[in-house]
Amino acid sequence: MNIKAQVAMVMNLDKCIGCHTCSITCKNVWTNREGAEYMYFNNVETKPGIGYPKNWEDQEKWKGGWQVNGGELSLRTGSKLERILKLFYHPQQPELLDYYEPWTYDYETLINSTRKNHQPVARPRSLITQKRMNIKWGPNWDDDLAGGESARQDVNLKKIAEDITLEFQDIFMKYLPRNCNHCLNPACVAACPSGAIYKRDEDGVVLVSQDACRGWRHCIPACPYKKVYYNWKTNKAEKCTFCYPRLENGLPTVCTDTCVGRIRYLGIILYDADAVLSTAKTTDEKNIYPTLLDVIKDPTSPEVQAAARQAGISEAVIKAAEISPVYKIIKRWQLALPLHPEYRTLPMVWYIPPLSPIMKVQEDKVYLPNSETMRIPLAYLAELFSAGDTKVIARTLQRLLDMRSVMRQKEINAAPPKNLEFEVGEYEKMYRLLGIAKYADRIKLPAGLQGKTHEQLRELQGSAGYACPGGFC
Amino acid sequence: MSGFIWGALPYIAFTVLIVGTLYRYSTNTRTWTTKSSQFLAKGSLKIAGPMFHLGLAMAFGGHVIGILIPKFLTDGAGIDEHLYHIIALAGGIPAGILFFVGFFLLMQRRFGNPRMKVNTSTMDGWLYLILFLTIATGCMATALNATGILGDFNYRETISPWFRSLLMFQPDISLMENVPLIFKCHLLCAMTLITIFPFTRLVHCLSFPFEFFFRNNIIYRRK
Repeated sequence: MNIKAQVAMVMNLDKCIGCHTCSITCKNVWTNREGAEYMYFNNVETKPGIGYPKNWEDQEKWKGGWQVNGGELSLRTGSKLERILKLFYHPQQPELLDYYEPWTYDYETLINSTRKNHQPVARPRSLITQKRMNIKWGPNWDDDLAGGESARQDVNLKKIAEDITLEFQDIFMKYLPRNCNHCLNPACVAACPSGAIYKRDEDGVVLVSQDACRGWRHCIPACPYKKVYYNWKTNKAEKCTFCYPRLENGLPTVCTDTCVGRIRYLGIILYDADAVLSTAKTTDEKNIYPTLLDVIKDPTSPEVQAAARQAGISEAVIKAAEISPVYKIIKRWQLALPLHPEYRTLPMVWYIPPLSPIMKVQEDKVYLPNSETMRIPLAYLAELFSAGDTKVIARTLQRLLDMRSVMRQKEINAAPPKNLEFEVGEYEKMYRLLGIAKYADRIKLPAGLQGKTHEQLRELQGSAGYACPGGFC
Repeated sequence: MSGFIWGALPYIAFTVLIVGTLYRYSTNTRTWTTKSSQFLAKGSLKIAGPMFHLGLAMAFGGHVIGILIPKFLTDGAGIDEHLYHIIALAGGIPAGILFFVGFFLLMQRRFGNPRMKVNTSTMDGWLYLILFLTIATGCMATALNATGILGDFNYRETISPWFRSLLMFQPDISLMENVPLIFKCHLLCAMTLITIFPFTRLVHCLSFPFEFFFRNNIIYRRK
């Protein structure tokens, strides 16, 4: 057993209201620079929809992620020789217009305009060419289905056998906030010709070294989630950093911190790095999720803790893993699922699938529907979160429904519902964590991930950087 | 003057190349990139990019063979002057065409697409000018030489031994005396190119990712 620590995130989609606060705060912190205007390390998509960049889930087009051929795991983008040839022109690299052309407005005209019969107008101007432009697409153009035109292009819909017409009476939607998944088996790391992308041993954060990156841009198509971006100004790759300077000090990522729906959970999990490759190789796509759960180890087990200590993981991290809210949601209750496990990158941002409004036909008969009769088709959620296995989705949603039933019965002083999977007390804990958990309960990060002891930090306190000339201490 | 040009200038150029490259690599790796513009204009790169680089690789290989392999070796191998010439042109003409047409298409793309302006620095402008002059004089010299307009001039008896004498640190300037002007221009352009190399986007060719073939898929790194 080769135990490594990973900072993992869970998003409770049941509570996401699609407000884009995570995207905006992330943008203000990380990508409001020249060359990065078009980047959203975190974005929120409406599903069904084609997302950002357009049709990112269409791996026939982008060849992102991994595939298994004859039991061997390889990047879909091709063998090493094929990839070397793609250095000169990469057929699968998305271009600017697959995202959108970033723009600003001529605000000056609002102030400097001479007296006219009509109000002055601030017209859009491209941030790339600095010329006037017509806005044809933006980072969130298909928000809230936007008339349904692009929603019908969603590849997940096309894969579902049953006919989903998106007629008004059975239309559905949900939000999907996305940032880098900091995968256990990251395709971007494997694809980088320069070896510039790496997974941090301490916390599993995947980073691009801006000094080692040579701009060969192979990471961008290789990432099936399209979460590595090409900076047109520095000509190097950039991606979500999981706000590692904050993590190192025990603070959550900016998107987690500012989420108004409080949907994000952040914590440590311990996993067996030796089992990563065999898990990614799992023959049947539908078995990737259950196998991935086996890779995540019980942090309270003495055996796991001993292996963690042997691997040099600090006590603070082990302690954080023991009380990790994400471990409870991912493994103990199995409420959260990985996004597109069939890409085989083993993502470490997990999603609690959303319940959805009860259908009109059911409304008069029951208090809560069962998981099959909700508005969002199980098959659609299964395409997103379980490689098409509707049983997993039904089971997960049923647990959320059971939790609601248990709490309602408690509220009206009635006997708890029958045929429950867990003890009643367990549902109450689930309710506390999903429903009313405060900041400190949702986020359990060890301070001092940066490897400085309390005493060392105290020495630096008040020195305003002078104690450490050049920052090399 | 010709002593300086053919005896000292090459050393200056190569010194700047080596010292400049090392200096930039050790102090400013953050600017060390391919400066790929595929993100800004994808379609027009599809043919032009690979074409230019293939032509460049072929032309470079041809220069290495023509300059570094002494004539007595090929003579010894039973390749006479006529046969060598045919082989050289068989490789050189396609290389020249690919290189030149590729370069033309890339320039058309670079200066025809308004988005490409953000990928084109002032230094790039100078680089393209010198690169153009180098390619143009090279192609012209080859064409004039092959058609016999330059008489019985043979670069393998003049320029090549001169270059090898540079490598021995015993420059033989006399070899360059009767070299036609067009070849001299080509050499001057090439020396300029070598001199500015460390300060341009050309450095990316030194980062060709060989180590990529031998490394693990997933890299873990401690802080």
